[in-house]
Amino acid sequence: MHKALLAAAYLALSGLPALAQEVVLGAVVPLSGASATLGDDQRRGIELAVDNINEKGGVLGGRKLRVIVEDSGGRAPSALDAAKKLVTVDNVPVVIGEYSSGITIPVGQYLVQEGRVHLNIGSSSGKIRSLGDGSFSLIGLDNVSTGFAAQDVVDNKWKKAAVIVPNNAYGQGVAEQFQKAFSALGGEVVTTVMYTEGQTTYRRELQQMERSEPDVYVYSAYGKEAATINRESFELSINTTPWYAIYLSMCTSDADPKFIQGQYGLDLNYIGPDGAVYEAAYKAKYNEPFKTSFNGYGYDAVMMAAAAIEKAGSAEPKAISAALKDIGKGYNGATGDITFDADRQRSKQPYLKLKIEDGVQQR
Amino acid sequence: MVEFLVHVAIMACLYGLLSLSLNLQVGFAGLVNFGQVILFGCGTYGAAIAFSHQLGPVAGIALGIVFAVIVAAAFARLGRNLGADYWGIATLAVAEVLRILANNEAWLAGGAQGVGGIPLLFGDMPRPMGPLMTLGLCVALLLAAWWLCQRLTTSRYGLALKLMREEPQLAASLGYDLAALKTQTLMVAAVLAAASGFVFAHYITFVGPDQLVSSETFLIWAMVIIGGSGNHLGAIVGAILMQFLFAFVPFVKDALGLPSEHVAAMRLTLVGGGLLAFLIWRTQGLIPEHVGGKQNG
Repeated sequence: MHKALLAAAYLALSGLPALAQEVVLGAVVPLSGASATLGDDQRRGIELAVDNINEKGGVLGGRKLRVIVEDSGGRAPSALDAAKKLVTVDNVPVVIGEYSSGITIPVGQYLVQEGRVHLNIGSSSGKIRSLGDGSFSLIGLDNVSTGFAAQDVVDNKWKKAAVIVPNNAYGQGVAEQFQKAFSALGGEVVTTVMYTEGQTTYRRELQQMERSEPDVYVYSAYGKEAATINRESFELSINTTPWYAIYLSMCTSDADPKFIQGQYGLDLNYIGPDGAVYEAAYKAKYNEPFKTSFNGYGYDAVMMAAAAIEKAGSAEPKAISAALKDIGKGYNGATGDITFDADRQRSKQPYLKLKIEDGVQQR
Repeated sequence: MVEFLVHVAIMACLYGLLSLSLNLQVGFAGLVNFGQVILFGCGTYGAAIAFSHQLGPVAGIALGIVFAVIVAAAFARLGRNLGADYWGIATLAVAEVLRILANNEAWLAGGAQGVGGIPLLFGDMPRPMGPLMTLGLCVALLLAAWWLCQRLTTSRYGLALKLMREEPQLAASLGYDLAALKTQTLMVAAVLAAASGFVFAHYITFVGPDQLVSSETFLIWAMVIIGGSGNHLGAIVGAILMQFLFAFVPFVKDALGLPSEHVAAMRLTLVGGGLLAFLIWRTQGLIPEHVGGKQNG
């Protein structure tokens, strides 16, 4: 009797009749753990895209689109639990995710091996390139953003750069690629500091960089650490030398305007026909400006997947993968033009060159 | 669904090995090891280094065991002059130092970017067989480890360990060499943890320093405490229970239509709250330690 009741309750709650009409995709993002802020922002982008598509009548002739978002906990084992659940139980054709490359790589490898479509929306490690057919990157890998940054720094006539980035997979990738691109353009990286996340002060690191007498400080940081670095560079008055941020909005969110006055940087370009609408929709739904630079990729991933399903006329992974290759030739996303190269990676990104004046980003 | 269950069972067995290993140290010998995850890391890095130098998996497991024995020896050496609690803090420090080393030394195994593409152990086999063979291997490893631990702890040796845990001075006065007992226990435990790490690396196919953060150690501690410290079966049950709970939380979310961010909170609550509940109301765990009885008779 109990069992029957439970089964009935489960059936009622899981909404089986709805499943038949829905097109279901999956996502694995860090909703807990060290990268939870970023992961939650990725989730917001995904949510906005789903709302947008369903408002416009869904996919494949009026079927509703649903994305099951699973938490990776910022751990590879939990992320793999989630990915395996999405593939073997929910049987989704497309999985979007993750943020850390140490998690994106095993998840992507698993999906490729299972013949599903993987959409990378957060990892920029060069190793993503070799995941194999079926894995697409909507975010430019670290050579794309650092190549742009190096060119911009050289254009500003700065020759000697001091670099500070977090000591994790993202930071090490950025430092290595920036060094490569900057040296190729005739610049010189005079110090590279890899900072440990979670410290209460970065004075020692900043002073170490100051001693190398750079023309420009190049940095990429997020959350509390970015705020600390900006405050302390102001206190040590080393902010009189120009600062250049890779992802300016992310580096300067929540900062006091006087700490970041005059900073240069690159950021994602929310222009294009979808971008401005997206930015407005984000502000309307969450009552704040973009929290990180990563939500737009989540949005674009869902929009592109939906477009691919529409084009293929089916929700089969093989057909979606083929359609994505066609769509990924100058697709107009919220994060700008999306074009995949032969390895299904986004090879170019139209970043914005920005400068902060009186707490406001100027183009 | 079956495939998913196989996956969860594989992970449960791997955590079971880690939990058995920690339980042998904490539950029997009273060695409060807060650096357990690094013994596991010896196995994962053995696999990663062997893979990146094209040495093959046999070299990987051998390297893993060598690393684990060296780290265990270092832990045991630290323990000579320190009280149990201070020793625990020292193991935590050593584990963190080694993790930071792996994070910074890019030549060793990719630094923070880690090593990807490590082959599956039975990747050449047709679909349903590969994962099933992996599961078979994991179950066999777990049973062998259980048998080994059982043999060790039901012998006179096991009684010596318990005596060392409860009354170290008495044990020393009876002529037991405490330093040797600690070293041997740590080494056996380290090899079990390294075996788990090796299989994990070849199953997840990726090795990186983020897998070795100290919160992973405390997850294994939670398994031992909930299952029952000082009881091998308890340690295994704790690991399997936690792994299955973790894996099935998302299904509860789907069934109840909860938003995803609640699941994240739910998982944290499960570990933290569950651990607290056991520490307060059932310190002996689900399956309590066996005191007295046959083996003492």
